[in-house]
Amino acid sequence: MSSAEGRGRTVDEAVDAALIELKESRRNVDIKVITETPDEAVVEVTVIDHEAAGASGSAAAPANGKGEIARGLVEGLLKHMGVRAQVTVRPSSEPITLDISGRDLGALIGWRGETLRALQSVTNVMVGRHLAEGERIIVDVERYRQRREHTVREIAMRAARQVKMTGDAITLDAMQPFERRAIHLALEGDPDVTSGSIGEEPERRVVVGPRKPAAE
Amino acid sequence: MAVRAAERIRKAITLVNSVADGAGDEDITPTEIAEAIRDCLELSEVDDVANVRRYLGEALDAVSDGMPADFVAMTLYAALGALREGRPAG
Repeated sequence: MSSAEGRGRTVDEAVDAALIELKESRRNVDIKVITETPDEAVVEVTVIDHEAAGASGSAAAPANGKGEIARGLVEGLLKHMGVRAQVTVRPSSEPITLDISGRDLGALIGWRGETLRALQSVTNVMVGRHLAEGERIIVDVERYRQRREHTVREIAMRAARQVKMTGDAITLDAMQPFERRAIHLALEGDPDVTSGSIGEEPERRVVVGPRKPAAE
Repeated sequence: MAVRAAERIRKAITLVNSVADGAGDEDITPTEIAEAIRDCLELSEVDDVANVRRYLGEALDAVSDGMPADFVAMTLYAALGALREGRPAG
């Protein structure tokens, strides 16, 4: 598997820089954010070897038994649904992540990822007895979830920059729990801003505001 | 599709998903989830479509029995699916 490090002002720019070097598209790569500050982002972009990933789904069963069980069940489920797609276990992902790829899988993602989320729930119920307490399987279709997480992280960084400039809090659009979590994680290391959530599901929104100095 | 019922079921699903996904920014109790499901059951339109009330009842039972969040979510998705399908109740 080939990989490249990318640098840029934003994660997107850094990823683009690495993609140019690798001559690859976003769909075929795995992106790991190494550092992300308001001024610079550094990412490691690794080209996914689909054949190896497919092989890891079947051959690496002993090493990743739970992933393999989940992969088999999801593959069977998709077959019953009449969906032609390839299911692979994302290499060295924690938690275990299943990638579903194929043609015209938009229906499997659904409105705002609803169908994808339902598929993940069903998968976790099916695999549940093989999982430890609190352990979960993540299901991703055409890297939708990963791309969405990237997008909301970008939004978070942009909001953080604006908060630092103006000193005013910003309320973001309503988001799903995994998206809000991505924002909290993206901003938790920032000494100048803080994030919290307001409102009730499904209209719960993240608020990014200036971090108040500790009371003396 | 019965819009109000769909909205309420989606709200219940989001609550359950918050527990499952662990956004880490709220504390959702089983009582809140049960309340959200009861809100769905209060609507008369859930009786117009086959299986919706049954799935919602099963979801409520699952919450009471302390079943995993994914199981509750799956049952709620089934209710939403039945609603979308829109087969008239017999």
